Amino acid sequence: MSARTIEVRLANKLGYERVAMACSASFAQMMGLPPERIEDLKTMVSEAAINAMQHGNKGRSDARVTVSMNCQNNILNVSVMDEGDGIKEFPPKPDIEKIIEDLESPVGFGLFLINQLADQVEFNEVTDGGHVVKMAIKMNS
Amino acid sequence: MQQHSNEINLEQRGAITLFNIRGDLTSFSEPSLSEAYQSANEQGAAKILLKIDKKAYINSGGIAALIQILALSKRNNQNIGITGVSDHFKKIFSMVGITRFADIHESVENALEVMS
Repeated sequence: MSARTIEVRLANKLGYERVAMACSASFAQMMGLPPERIEDLKTMVSEAAINAMQHGNKGRSDARVTVSMNCQNNILNVSVMDEGDGIKEFPPKPDIEKIIEDLESPVGFGLFLINQLADQVEFNEVTDGGHVVKMAIKMNS
Repeated sequence: MQQHSNEINLEQRGAITLFNIRGDLTSFSEPSLSEAYQSANEQGAAKILLKIDKKAYINSGGIAALIQILALSKRNNQNIGITGVSDHFKKIFSMVGITRFADIHESVENALEVMS
């Protein structure tokens, strides 16, 4: 971990994603990210942490979600790591027309928002076990 | 860190049933939103305005809960609007398509005027 990397380990319980949101917002503000992009970042971090808790760690109370962030080369990077096996199959983009007509379940909004708001997203397995979502925001985007 | 369901007060403002929704919108909001909607529907609500706290934390679970209310209101031919939404969540609501089924209003007064 580099000297300028921040890391937060979260209890695997819904609600604790807000700790990561607050930390990422403070860090982004220190780095000079514009306020409207800080709001985007908070949503990205929240949704990635919720997915990590629910789908990655499958709600296990002994598991943890690790959120780390740094700013290099004018890019703010945030990684959200869980102890799961990763995403086997990405859900399709939620179709609100079908959800409203009860033809589709209201799921997949978290991943959809992450993909919409981040400038770059990667989903990777971790060598020692676990899964990480790496999200990047350009400081001047 | 506890997450709670919402306190929702229903208020009749002319022809419009105003849902005063206190607190964050998360997956924990679904029961209280459904209960409030059921109550309003049983009282014959034709126009519904959802007033959200401007500083509320809204996540994908809350968005799903809101969409379920939009679905019910569409099935029951009710006009529905939303107010109290920050600029960020106006953008998010547009991204997920909520704005195709509910107009976002700047204030309760503006909504009452437009929806009446």
